[in-house]
Amino acid sequence: MTLRGWITGPMLVAFALFGTLPLWIAEVGLYSYLGVEILIWCIFALGFNVLLGYTGLPSFGHGAYFGIGAYALGLTQLRLAPSLWLGLLAATVVAAALAGAVGLFISHRRGIYFALMTLAFGQMFFFIASKWTSVTRGEDGLLNIKRLPVDLGIVAVDLRSNTALAYFAFACFVVVAVLLWRLVHSPFGTVLRAIKQNEGRAAFLGYNVFLYKWASFTLSAAVAGFAGGLFAMAQNGAYVQAMSLQWSGIVVLMTLIGGGLVSFWGPVVGAVVFFVARDLLGAYTETWLLWYGLMFMAVVMFKPEGIAGMWQAAVRRAAARRGPAAAGGVRVPAEP
Amino acid sequence: VDFLVNLLPHLLNGVALGLLFALVALGFMLIIGVMEVINLAHGSLFALGAYVALATLTADGGLRVEWLRGYFALPVAWRFAVALVVAPVAVAAVGLVLERCLRRTYGKDPLYGLLLTFGAALVLEETIRVVWGPTERFLPLPAAITGGVRVGELIYSVYRFFASAFAIAMILLLWLFLERTPYGALIKAGAHDSEMVRALGVDLTRLRSYVFAFGVALAAIAGIIMAPIWGVRPHVGVDAVVPAFVVIVLGGVGSFGGAVLAGLLVGMLVGLTGAFVTDWSLISMYILLIVVVTFRARGLLGKKSVLEA
Repeated sequence: MTLRGWITGPMLVAFALFGTLPLWIAEVGLYSYLGVEILIWCIFALGFNVLLGYTGLPSFGHGAYFGIGAYALGLTQLRLAPSLWLGLLAATVVAAALAGAVGLFISHRRGIYFALMTLAFGQMFFFIASKWTSVTRGEDGLLNIKRLPVDLGIVAVDLRSNTALAYFAFACFVVVAVLLWRLVHSPFGTVLRAIKQNEGRAAFLGYNVFLYKWASFTLSAAVAGFAGGLFAMAQNGAYVQAMSLQWSGIVVLMTLIGGGLVSFWGPVVGAVVFFVARDLLGAYTETWLLWYGLMFMAVVMFKPEGIAGMWQAAVRRAAARRGPAAAGGVRVPAEP
Repeated sequence: VDFLVNLLPHLLNGVALGLLFALVALGFMLIIGVMEVINLAHGSLFALGAYVALATLTADGGLRVEWLRGYFALPVAWRFAVALVVAPVAVAAVGLVLERCLRRTYGKDPLYGLLLTFGAALVLEETIRVVWGPTERFLPLPAAITGGVRVGELIYSVYRFFASAFAIAMILLLWLFLERTPYGALIKAGAHDSEMVRALGVDLTRLRSYVFAFGVALAAIAGIIMAPIWGVRPHVGVDAVVPAFVVIVLGGVGSFGGAVLAGLLVGMLVGLTGAFVTDWSLISMYILLIVVVTFRARGLLGKKSVLEA
């Protein structure tokens, strides 16, 4: 396995942009906490896109696993042991375990049926979280979650400032992005894409479709849980809103507007656009979500491939203008 | 026996709730059948119906027009009757617009229709927030259908009787429409095989528009009838659309009887659990759904449907 299988050009560009984010974000009139939010949602959306973009399974209940991650980190820290790594591990593992159980019920379904079942399970977790007050503190939320220092044995980095947390979130983003990139370009990822194209054929080729769909669902929920754990640190608390249908929808919006269906980096673009739109539109109007929703409808109607799709189309056109030879005689279908 | 008698009011509440769930679910199912679209905006249109009713019922409900002053002086019962006509028509008009948008997604991955209506739900909910504000509102009701009635030892809410009777009448009318008229036959044929219906010379484009408008109008009517029970708030759509999903999956996609049966089951379950473990009443329907679907993948009365393709 060469280095090129792990690291690519666009990846380096994304890393350079996000890695230096705390240095320049204040200069463009934004703030470090926004950087933290963007990075966390990038992680969430990248994981979500393994399910939506690569396996073709729409989940409308992924906010639940994000929220479960947040609660798991909080509860581990408040009740078990104050450790950053243990908290994040718990966030990932608990979300994966619960999603794994849900996956057993829904992995033999596809398309709209799958979407409905994820929605029902998502709502179920939402109601449990809002009513099981002895554990989750209900509507008040789990408060006083600390940003514990990153203990690396010899040095410990304090995360209490938003800038420090942005760097930590960036480090997490790098790890998740590289691992997910590797995963979707592995034979495993190829099978997922085959399932997206035609589940029946993938099954006839001898792949255990149920198992692959289950793994894709569980994995994306594990990433969501991890992101949720980070979010609990960022917010210093875990709140039930994170599990609401609306938040589950936001990650779908981001992934799609950015172009998750045609590009690995689509969800990242979408997350950035969402938060920048929230802050810029939100400064002018209270009703930014209305305009954002209209924008989303327009994207679905006219350019369902999203921003990444527009970019790819522009690149293809530019290549075609340089000469038909450069564009190549054979059209290769866009790979997500 | 006393214990069972004490359950009766809760059972009545459950039946009213269940019949309204069934009404929402039936409109939703007509749309799935003919258009193969899951209308995630169904709940928001349900909420919009309640808000349009609010505007036609109260002077401060959004229509602050001078020449309507005489209208708002009419008795509540008249205005309520007007609202029952105006709201479904207005919502059907919105539905027609949404269906125009949806046309771009026909023939593509059904995911796009799902996503478009999700966006529409967001837009509608925000629009409601902008026009009517985020706080909870209440529909004024005619005196004839408010208050309680004493039967034996127990007091029943009159409105629940009205809601149940109204929903039963609507469901019966809908059934007659689908089973006894040529339009109903077209809709059923469209749900069975829309391409074949087109090949037989039916204007499928127009059929889809009408079915969509008709389906969301049913949601609007349910929205008005539900409004006095649940209150009117922008977020109420989610509370309606999610049980509708549950009812459809539980009853079996494409089955009229299944939807009514599942609606009643869910409603009574929510009503009865509400009597004992209020906090957990809403979760009971998901547990019912999971149990049923685990053992009967196509729901109680379901056949193979477009959604499995």
